[in-house]
Amino acid sequence: MYPPKLEAIINLFESLPEIERRETLVSYADNAKKQEPHPGEKFTLEDVRKDEECADTVGVYLWVDDEGKAHFRMTLGPEVQTLTRAMTAILCKGFDGRTPQEVLELPDDFVTRIVGAELVRVRSQTIFYALARIKGICKVYLDRQRRAAVA
Amino acid sequence: MTTSPTQYAHPEALVDADWIEKNWKENDVRIIESNEDILLYDTGHIPGAVHIDWRTDLQNQVIRDYIAPDQFAELCSRNGITPGTTCVFYGDKANWWACYALWAFRLFGHEKVKILNGGRDKWKADGQAMTREVPKYPQTNYPVPGKRYDKEIRAFADEALAQSKSGKPLIDVRSPGEFKGEITHMAEYPQEGVLRGGHIPGAKSMPWQTATKDDSTFKSAGELATIYLEHCGLKPDSDTVVYCRIGERSSHTWFVLTYLLGLENVRNYDGSWTEWGNKVGAPIERG
Repeated sequence: MYPPKLEAIINLFESLPEIERRETLVSYADNAKKQEPHPGEKFTLEDVRKDEECADTVGVYLWVDDEGKAHFRMTLGPEVQTLTRAMTAILCKGFDGRTPQEVLELPDDFVTRIVGAELVRVRSQTIFYALARIKGICKVYLDRQRRAAVA
Repeated sequence: MTTSPTQYAHPEALVDADWIEKNWKENDVRIIESNEDILLYDTGHIPGAVHIDWRTDLQNQVIRDYIAPDQFAELCSRNGITPGTTCVFYGDKANWWACYALWAFRLFGHEKVKILNGGRDKWKADGQAMTREVPKYPQTNYPVPGKRYDKEIRAFADEALAQSKSGKPLIDVRSPGEFKGEITHMAEYPQEGVLRGGHIPGAKSMPWQTATKDDSTFKSAGELATIYLEHCGLKPDSDTVVYCRIGERSSHTWFVLTYLLGLENVRNYDGSWTEWGNKVGAPIERG
């Protein structure tokens, strides 16, 4: 049901007791910078903005390769919260190599399995933000593809 | 108190990094971090600091209210706090949630409270020590408080309405856009389901950050007196109510008025705009 890389992350988190789950989230957050664009990389679409749903600027960069597979990079402003950082790293890794359509069609329920019901309950806005932005750029990409096909 | 004090009314309520370094290992001192970012403590904190989360630790998990006195006693006990412990609060967002937690501790009658001036941001910016080691303190047996001091430092909607009708001071500490009714939440923050925008009739707008400098520390006593005593017209014995959206920014102003300016009768309307803006029939002014 889920992409294999994402499934592996889900399984990891579900196997952890709560304290280790938090530690692992922090570890992912620590590594969020690794998901920033690398020098020389080119992208199919870029969406960098500060909107009302997040405390700082978040950039999403999509590259769709010749096989139609999506690769994501993200940039995060310094005020972005730790959970959003963690989800950024998790999603960039978990979605890598899937098509934009596959990413868009994924149900959001896996998020709860990763961060746990308690964190979702108290901080849902923060947790789902990165996912919404990634799905958003996939939708823009697919809409443009459809318009180009019609034209 | 004069209108231009040269020092805070309760200077002992503020501490700095030097104080923390000298005192954090004392048995009767507990450093407490409270943040908006729920995992920030886990990424690193002041050595010896414990974490208290405003939502999961201080609030009732079913109805919109604070924890019961027995739950407060349990919270303190598991963090090694006794009634004699000096609790020093700090956190992100220029100490919003630190002030909120301090105010909540005062609700239960815990009097020995302080704020780390500048909060987490200044501590980190100054290159002070941070650790990921979570301290363990011996369990204490904090007695269950006999009462919650709601009447003294907390205002409810009907009291805020009475304040409005009687023309007594009401300070709205939200952003100017929220006060005018142009927006119902802070910019960059999620809409939390408020149906109407504006402010409580008669309220004066004085955004919380007016009280702070760029490094998140508090402005001088003289500057604060100018802001709140001259511009807002508050008096030392004014019956004053402060509010914001959910009570955290107004906790910051409540701390300023109570501890730094020494006003004697300040209450925090923690229901704030998420209650008032949804309340059927509640009077609202815009602009």
